[in-house]
Amino acid sequence: MIELAGITRCYGDTKAVTKLDLKVPASCVFGYLGPNGAGKTTTIKMMVGLLRPDEGGVIVDGVDAMKNPREANRRIGYVPDQPYLYDKLSGREVLQFVAGMYGMSASETKDSIAEQVERFALSPFIDRLTESYSHGMKQRVVFAAALVHKPQVLILDEPMVGLDPKSMRLVKDLLREEAGSGTTVFMSTHTLSVAEEIADCIGILDHGRLRFLGTVDELRSELATEHGSLEDLYLTLTAEIGTETPPPGSPEMAAGAE
Amino acid sequence: MSTTAIPNDECRPDRESDSQATGGNPRHRLISDRKENALFHQLRTRCIHSMLRTAMATSRLRLSVLIVLSAVFWAGLFLLFAEGFTLLNGAITHLPRRARMVQDIYNVFFMTLLAMLTVSSSLIIYSGLYRTDDVRFLLTTPASCRRIVLFKFQESLVFSCWGFFLMGTPMLIAYGAVADSPWYYFALLLPFMVAFVCIPVSLGSILCMLVVYFAPRLRFHLVGIVGVVGLVAAIWIGWSTFSAARADVLTSAWLDDMRARLQFADQRLLPSWWLSCGLLEAAHRETVPGLPETWRESVMFLGVLISNALVGGLLVGFVGQRTFRRGYSRLQGAVSPYRSARGSSFDRWLLAAMKPMPTSVRLMIVKDLRLFRRDPVQWAQFVIFFGLLALYFINIRRFQYGDNLQHWINMIGFLNLSVVGLILSTFTTRFIFPMISLEGRRFWMLGSLAINRDTVLWSKFLFACFGSIVPCASLILLSDAMLGIVTHAPFVAVIHQITCWVLCIGLSAIAVGLGARLPNLRESSPSRIAAGFGGTLNLVLSALFIITTVMVSAVPTYCYLQPDHAEALIKAGPTALWLWLGIGSIQAVYLSLSITILLGVIATVIPLQLGIRAFRRLEF
Repeated sequence: MIELAGITRCYGDTKAVTKLDLKVPASCVFGYLGPNGAGKTTTIKMMVGLLRPDEGGVIVDGVDAMKNPREANRRIGYVPDQPYLYDKLSGREVLQFVAGMYGMSASETKDSIAEQVERFALSPFIDRLTESYSHGMKQRVVFAAALVHKPQVLILDEPMVGLDPKSMRLVKDLLREEAGSGTTVFMSTHTLSVAEEIADCIGILDHGRLRFLGTVDELRSELATEHGSLEDLYLTLTAEIGTETPPPGSPEMAAGAE
Repeated sequence: MSTTAIPNDECRPDRESDSQATGGNPRHRLISDRKENALFHQLRTRCIHSMLRTAMATSRLRLSVLIVLSAVFWAGLFLLFAEGFTLLNGAITHLPRRARMVQDIYNVFFMTLLAMLTVSSSLIIYSGLYRTDDVRFLLTTPASCRRIVLFKFQESLVFSCWGFFLMGTPMLIAYGAVADSPWYYFALLLPFMVAFVCIPVSLGSILCMLVVYFAPRLRFHLVGIVGVVGLVAAIWIGWSTFSAARADVLTSAWLDDMRARLQFADQRLLPSWWLSCGLLEAAHRETVPGLPETWRESVMFLGVLISNALVGGLLVGFVGQRTFRRGYSRLQGAVSPYRSARGSSFDRWLLAAMKPMPTSVRLMIVKDLRLFRRDPVQWAQFVIFFGLLALYFINIRRFQYGDNLQHWINMIGFLNLSVVGLILSTFTTRFIFPMISLEGRRFWMLGSLAINRDTVLWSKFLFACFGSIVPCASLILLSDAMLGIVTHAPFVAVIHQITCWVLCIGLSAIAVGLGARLPNLRESSPSRIAAGFGGTLNLVLSALFIITTVMVSAVPTYCYLQPDHAEALIKAGPTALWLWLGIGSIQAVYLSLSITILLGVIATVIPLQLGIRAFRRLEF
């Protein structure tokens, strides 16, 4: 479970996220949408301990991430928007290091790595140095690293970027499977079709405020539109926000803000 | 919806979420400090092994050049220091007096090093801790902040140590050799140096973390203030030490005067004093009756250094644990992610000044200038290195040359020219050579424009020429002015300027041409591009070009100004060749100038032609 309680975060004079309240329960795939610069990555960075909110708090799986970031991180598997791997290690060595950091025993590490290698079809390159990987290969290893310790919360920032259609299918199935086994999945994405296909619930962020929270059907009813894909709804909503931004605390759109 | 919570019935619960609130995956726990240490150690070892394997497989030339150049540099310094200490031995025969003089010199040297290492390590730890992808990754794992900080602290220690070893060991070993020190002096050198370096690196790391934690918005202001204060202090100390230069060098009165001036570094609470005392105690065989043996005294100083170094390491871990994560977060919030970039009036003036050139070339030059200006890594290195050279040139008159002014002027003038050329070659390798490789990654933009590919190369070449000629020619003019060459031998100043222009144009062409001939389009980091085979080749060819050009220009000028040296050279042989070249005559100088210019033309035309041909064929 993830709980964000009134979090605000500024960069200099720019407010990236403003008083964001959000609860994502276990076994849920949450799609976090919003235009570029809306504050999605900032929200995620606060959840994984890279940033501290200026106000508010973050609870990850019952652990206060501000007070005990290590314990919170232990429960999280994180796939960043720009995958980082140690250039001079092989994919297997990276996975071994990550498993060790999460306190897994040697036998658990071996079994779990074997499972991830098979799941993400890493065997052709897992023992090569990661500096020779393509973006898609890196992304698959990062996925494996995020899942190797079987986290309770999976946080993904733009996970589909750089993946081929087969890998995308794999990831979509995987996210549903993880949620099915009780994991909380929090995914930011611009790929609306992916969110529409696998997310149980979506949140739309704009200018640091949560403008909508609910299911696609609820969004449809909110906009009084019977038909239309998530893409149409999203564009309609963000266009409305663009023309008349509601003031802070406005009840009409801001499901989660204020 | 009016609530921010997503109801559970919207999801598909298969597992009790309540059970997770108590402890995550029950099989795993936070790892112990010892296990964490072992994991990071393993990470480091694996990375180093892998890096060495790759370097041995792909960069043997670079490694060999690096090792050979380092060895030559080390040997040169060793000989220089050995000569200096021998001179001191001859000049000051009274042993206690000589020991005091050496201690004063050591005190100043190590105190300066202490200050420089503190500042440099704080900058290294800043970029290592707050600006790297691996720390961003580690912060999202359950790794403790203490471990992450200590991991980067070790890196900073290594970066700080190697420079000290390269510069310090020749001096210390030379002293030991000249003073006929016992074996344990040499054995204790390494522990002394490592323990000493730990202290300023700890201090710099702690200062850096505290500044980021308490004043993230003011970090650059603080660095600027410290830099200005340090510079003023250095100038003041340098001025008060070497001002009122006297002709009675190495006399008793001069030594007393010099010792008095160096007393400011005799601070017993500073690690620099412990280091110099410890080393000198170990270096002396003599034991004063009634006092502990010198090696015991030395080991005691080593103990003081080691204990302080260990406390420093502990404090780094402690401060890191308390401040790092919060400081990291504060730093991200200290600046707006949106940086404005307005055009400057200088750009407009430059565009107007280059009116005769084709528009595409002018626009490319201004674009490269903007990239340079907005990348502090580039201009900061440029300013630091050329600034230090300018400081040296300004102070060059503080050294005494005796009556042999003509001899020294010629020698030092051309040596300064070589130094400027060698520093420029490192810049052209680091910044100009990778430009084409980096342009390759953005070639979709240039490739879609209706411009000739050659224009890209020509604009890079002109940018590099302008960028190097202005500072280098100014520095050489400053050097000549301070040496009195401009007033006493304007003819030599003209030769220096011509040679300098030839070097700038040739080095620019070599970097641009080789950059286009040997591009690395897969790499996005300029430093890695420069460190590859192409960059190494560029550096080696540039060095050869500089040495050849300066020698061709310097020898005939030197012989013309010093006819007795010309005669000695002719006698030494090959006599027929020197006579045929008319060495010692003004004609030989003119001939050498012509050859210098010819060398410049060859170094410009051939690499550019090779580069243009390769660039036309290049597929992106």
